[in-house]
Amino acid sequence: MTFADRMLRLDRRIIFLLVGLCTLIPLLYPVGLAINISSEVRGVYDYIDSLPEGSVFLLSLDFDPASKPELYPQAIALLRHAFRKNLRVLGMTLWVSGTGMAEQVIGQVASEMGKVNGKDYVFFGWSPGVSAIIISMGQDLYKAFPSDYYGRPTNTLAVLQGVKTLRDVNYVVSLAAGTAGIETWYVFGKDKYRFELGGGCTGVIAPGLYPLLRSGQINGLIGGLRGAAEYEVLVGKKGRAVAGMDAQSVTHFTIIILVGLCNVFYFLSRSAQRRSEQHR
Amino acid sequence: MSIVLGAWVATGLTLFIFTFLYRDNPFFKLAEHLYVGISVGYTLVKAVDTVGVRLLYVPMIEEGDWSLLIPLGIGLLMLARYVPRAAWLSRWAFAFIVGVGSGLAIPRVISSYVLKQIEDTVRPLVSMTPDGLTFTASLLNPASNLNAIVLLIGVIAVLFYFFFSVEHTGPVRVAARTGIVFLMISFGAAFGYTVMARMSLLIGRLTDLIEFADPQYGSPSLVLLAATVIGLIVWSRWGGRARTGPTDSR
Repeated sequence: MTFADRMLRLDRRIIFLLVGLCTLIPLLYPVGLAINISSEVRGVYDYIDSLPEGSVFLLSLDFDPASKPELYPQAIALLRHAFRKNLRVLGMTLWVSGTGMAEQVIGQVASEMGKVNGKDYVFFGWSPGVSAIIISMGQDLYKAFPSDYYGRPTNTLAVLQGVKTLRDVNYVVSLAAGTAGIETWYVFGKDKYRFELGGGCTGVIAPGLYPLLRSGQINGLIGGLRGAAEYEVLVGKKGRAVAGMDAQSVTHFTIIILVGLCNVFYFLSRSAQRRSEQHR
Repeated sequence: MSIVLGAWVATGLTLFIFTFLYRDNPFFKLAEHLYVGISVGYTLVKAVDTVGVRLLYVPMIEEGDWSLLIPLGIGLLMLARYVPRAAWLSRWAFAFIVGVGSGLAIPRVISSYVLKQIEDTVRPLVSMTPDGLTFTASLLNPASNLNAIVLLIGVIAVLFYFFFSVEHTGPVRVAARTGIVFLMISFGAAFGYTVMARMSLLIGRLTDLIEFADPQYGSPSLVLLAATVIGLIVWSRWGGRARTGPTDSR
């Protein structure tokens, strides 16, 4: 057995260990690699930044704890930006399993920014139906959510003054880990009720959303942890996403090297096999 | 106190799940079963509370909105599937859902995905400006004329690849092969993003483990890491091999 063959049969746990170390070491000893801002992330930031004080911003946290590492930092950065701009924030989720986490992130950032529940923001929670709930919100917000997450009647909340349907919402951002998410908000919401829509998503679904971005169906896209880090830089408050970027870069570099080496060993092994067949 | 307890539970379950990288074992199974059970339990409770209490009980009993009996009745018909003699009743509920769902979705999806995307694909290959016709050749600008041409070639080539009524020979073969190149680039981009996403999840868990190594939480990361490693050694020496046998590590 040649060296290349031995390498191709390497115990995969050694690779796991290598990738684990390459992720852990930069987290322990960060070097602070530069983070460039992409136009798709800037699209979301610029739109929120352009909204006048008191505008209505709806953040739909369409993910569950399985996608927390990527989407939670996005939610924190977006909420900090919206609260700093004194926008009226409406929070909700289309994912029942993400309800508690969504409530936690909105409450956490609101208390950090000194915002009052019911006056500066509201959290609707979850309601069944996905597409039906978006359509219902487009017709009458108070019928879709007669009470907020805490059981208070929504038609008495100061934050919703003058807001009757989705047409009264200035900007909607869906942070999505799949379906229901950005596409659902576009198909059943923006296409009919004509509000502006932006998105944040996990890395896995980001490539599938670029056609929507290019065609202008969404005006910006925050993709994965990388996108969250860019937004943290734009907001000027670095958090978990920025802290993870060194690790992400080092891990990607390691994987590229491993893929390259694997190909080299594969071709070396194949040529050695051919040579031995010719000698026979 | 609840934060410290949460830190210990989160750390323990993360480490138990990571033990699968070594091989399948009872620690992993415990964490896996807890995850499934808690997820289902949480979803069920939230669904019952939201639908049963907030959307049905409160409006009907406390506010007297008895019109909700209609959706409640249609929903209950679903349960007729469990009674063989009355199972046919569930078809009414399914017919309602499929009918309304299709009616809502089909026009919206055609408008959003097919028409809008076709509109975006058919872009001018040259731009008309006050100075006359211009051609922008920047690959970095998604709206450039060069990218419009690349997009058009890509769409046509991929459509040729999936066109099976004609044998892929001659010019059709060239187009289909070009389509494969575009598809490969697309799969590569998707795989790259998937790797990034998975590494982000690892970074998220490792960040938590580093945070929970702090003495203010009682250093659960260090304590439970040691306990898990000892547990794995004990299990693989005396219990693991007999029950599960060796696992292919390649």
